[in-house]
Parts: sequence; C-alpha cells; structure tokens
Amino acid sequence: MTSVLAGIGHYGLWLREFIGATARHGMPKGQMMAEAFKIGIKSLPILLIISGFVGTNLALQGYNAFKPLGGQRLVGMFVALAGVRELAPIIAAAMIAAKAGTEMASQIGVMKIREQIDALEVMAVNPLAYLIAPRLVGILLMLPALTTLAIFTMLTTAYMVSVHQLGLSGHEFLQFAEEAIQPIDFFYGAVKAVIFGAIICTISCYFGFNCGKGPEGVGQATNRAVVTSSVICIVLNYFVSELLYGGAL
Amino acid sequence: MLDSIATIGRFGNFSGRIAARIMRRPLFLNEVVAQMWTTTIRCLLPVIAVTFPFGMVMALQGLEIFRLFGAERMLASLISIATLREISPVLASVLVAAQGGASCAASLGAMRIKEELDATEVMAVDAIKYHVVPRVLALTIACPLLNIAGSVSGVAGGYFTAVFVKGESGGIFMAELWSFMGPMDIWGGLIKTTVFGLAIGLISCYHGYRASGGAAGVGKAVNDTVVHSVVAFITLNYFLTSALFGSVSP
Repeated sequence: MTSVLAGIGHYGLWLREFIGATARHGMPKGQMMAEAFKIGIKSLPILLIISGFVGTNLALQGYNAFKPLGGQRLVGMFVALAGVRELAPIIAAAMIAAKAGTEMASQIGVMKIREQIDALEVMAVNPLAYLIAPRLVGILLMLPALTTLAIFTMLTTAYMVSVHQLGLSGHEFLQFAEEAIQPIDFFYGAVKAVIFGAIICTISCYFGFNCGKGPEGVGQATNRAVVTSSVICIVLNYFVSELLYGGAL
Repeated sequence: MLDSIATIGRFGNFSGRIAARIMRRPLFLNEVVAQMWTTTIRCLLPVIAVTFPFGMVMALQGLEIFRLFGAERMLASLISIATLREISPVLASVLVAAQGGASCAASLGAMRIKEELDATEVMAVDAIKYHVVPRVLALTIACPLLNIAGSVSGVAGGYFTAVFVKGESGGIFMAELWSFMGPMDIWGGLIKTTVFGLAIGLISCYHGYRASGGAAGVGKAVNDTVVHSVVAFITLNYFLTSALFGSVSP
C-alpha cells in the first residue's frame, strides 16, 4: 500500500520535472510528426479490427437484450449510444496503451539500461524534453482521430451484423442511431481521448524511465505500463462520463 | 505476407507440441498451481479495478436512456446481462492478457535471453513441459476464475451508482437483477473466458519462448503478446457469442 502511494508521489515529481524540462528546453523539431506517424499508422490496423468486432458484438448483444421486450428496433440506438459515448474511446485507449504505450515503455527502458539516456545527458540534451515531449504531442494528435475512426468502424460493422445476420431493417437502424447521438458526442469523445492519451503516454514513459536492470526490468516495466495505464483510463472514464453526460454540465 | 503465414504455422506447431506434452506424464502439478495462484492474485486487483467503474458507467448511461421511456426498473437486468455476457469476459481477458500474459512472456523471454531455458534442456528436463505447459494451463484456469470476480464487481459497480449516486431503489435493483437471466448466461461467460485464457496462454508463451535479441527482444515479446492476444480473443468473441447466445436470423 505504501509502495503504491510512494509510486504516485514519485510519478507526480517526475511529471513536474518533465513539464519544467520541456518548458525550459522546448521540443526537438521534426520528431513530433514522426512519432505521430508511428503511433497512429502502426496502431491503425489493430484498432480497426478490434473496434469492428466490438461493433458486431454490440449489435448481437443489443439484439439479445431487447428481443424479449419486442424492442429489436432499438438496436441502432443502443449501438450508437454505447459505442459512441463509452466503448469507442475506451477501446481506442486500451489498444493504444497495448500497442503504442508498451512500445514507448520498452524503447525507453532499453535506452535506459543501455545507458543511452545517460549519453544524452552527457551531450547536454535533456532526455525528458527530447524523448517524451514528441511522443506526448504525437499521441495527443492521433488518439482523437483514432477514436473517431473507431466510432465509424464500430457503427459500420454493427450495421452489417444487424442487417445481414439479424435481419433487421437498415433504415430503422440508421434512423434510431441518428436520433441517439448528437454532434457534441464526437467532441466529448475527443475530450476523453485527449485525457486518456496524456495518461497513457506519461505513465508508459514513466515506467520506461524507471525500469529495473536487465531483460526482466524491461519486461516488467512494459507489463506495468500497460496494466496501470489501462486501469487508470477506465477508472477516470467514469468520472469524465459523469461530468460530461451526468447532468453536471 | 509470407512471413505472417509462416508465423501462423510456427504458432500451430508450438501449440501442437504443448498439447502433446499435456497428454504425457508427468504433469508438474505443483508448478501449475503455483503459477495459477500468482496469476490470479496479480490480476485480481486490476480486473476488479476495471470492471467496477465500467459497471458504474453502464448504470450512468443506462439510466439516462431508460428514464426517457420511464423504464428505470429495467436497468438491473440490462447491467447483469451485459456484464455477465460481454463486459466482464472481455475486460477480464484484456487485463489477464495485459498482466498475466505479459508477465508470462516477460519471464519466459528473460529466461530465453539468459539461456536458462537452454540450461533446463541441458539438465535433461523438457523446457516446454516444465516452464511452458504450467503457464498455459494456469492462464486457462485463472481466466474464468477472474471472470467470476469481474462479473460480481461489475454488477456491484452498477448497484453502487444506481442506488447510492442516482438514488434508485436498491430493492427493485436486486429484484430485477435475475429477471432476464438464464443459466446459459453464466456458462457462456465461463466457456468464453476459458477459450480466451487458452488463447492468451498459448500466444504469450509462444512470444516469450521465441524471444531473441537481448532486452529489446523481451520488450518486443511483451508488446506482441498483448496486441496479438487482444486481437485474437476479440475476434474469437464474435464467433463464440454468435454460437453460444444464438443470434442468427432464421
């Protein structure tokens, strides 16, 4: 328990140091787009597969849940609400944590144990500003876009399952889906994505920077990075949802 | 393209070798139990920490929809069906892949890099039998157990938000909890998570066993494990859901 609290404090101090370093030294130019490309394009195929299959399951389970009540027509509404508001941001965040977050943690961890980070300091380059700032900007640029793509994939596959597997009317599906979501929901999805992206990047890089010795150290850092960041994203998701949709605003 | 087909073939070969070892005596039961215990304990807190807030979110969003129709009573049955059929199996498996599968790949990968696996072979102990089979079995058994914990905490999260935050009646929530539920909902979740656990175990051990190239190789093995196992079981999930809960149009 105390080690968890100490870890949170350590993370906070590290975050302050990172923000200070970035404010002082600025970001290396040209790295940002390369990182954004790496994070976005390399995660895209996996994200599309996962969100596609989540969409199919949403349609199947929505159909199963509403059928006893004779409300099969509501499947479109259910898919749109659940998919756009909750599942797409969460699935995108979890996949980016699993793909890009683990990659960040293991890359930085390997740099750490090979003493490349010390080498950067010797060259008078601040490692925090040089390594993390471009990754953070990259993920902040890409995650909202990936979330939006996940929403569209989810709705498309849910539509295909509803119409071709479950035999519902496609027109009704679209009508109910359109009624259920507002344009502002896409904006809220992007807000969630920005928050999750910042958390995934800083936590993964934190574990990478503080990784232990040898191959086990890298493995453990990578492992902790993905678990911690996905747990924190899902816990925070509740509070963000409560704030955005719970009538508080 | 050819390379990925070759990978599938190597994976099949590796799975076949594991299956052959499970059939033959001796099975290192102590090792299986020890691995299962550590996996379950290490994944328990993350699984609960993820399913509880998700139950809370479902209650939050569900209430908003049901209030439109004046059907707040339905909330509990929606939460219990959604949690037991989909949310808990998928989220528990994601966390088992991220925590259990990743640490399995990390430890096997570190053993491979440090040549401990070769040392085991030199001592005339079958490395797959001693190190890999117990991990696969442990993940296969731990995943459904964690699914049970996840289902309970998901429903508890829904109850928490509905009753303590949104002020619905707790008695109605409990009364409606089981109204649409059948035995298949509980068995379906357990069958799914057993299959997912097997997939996670095989994929993580495959990547860990074949790790190469120093510390970076271990990191890559962990990364590949999480990504490939999540893709594998989400894809499987669609087919299992269609088969188990019978949603094919007549």
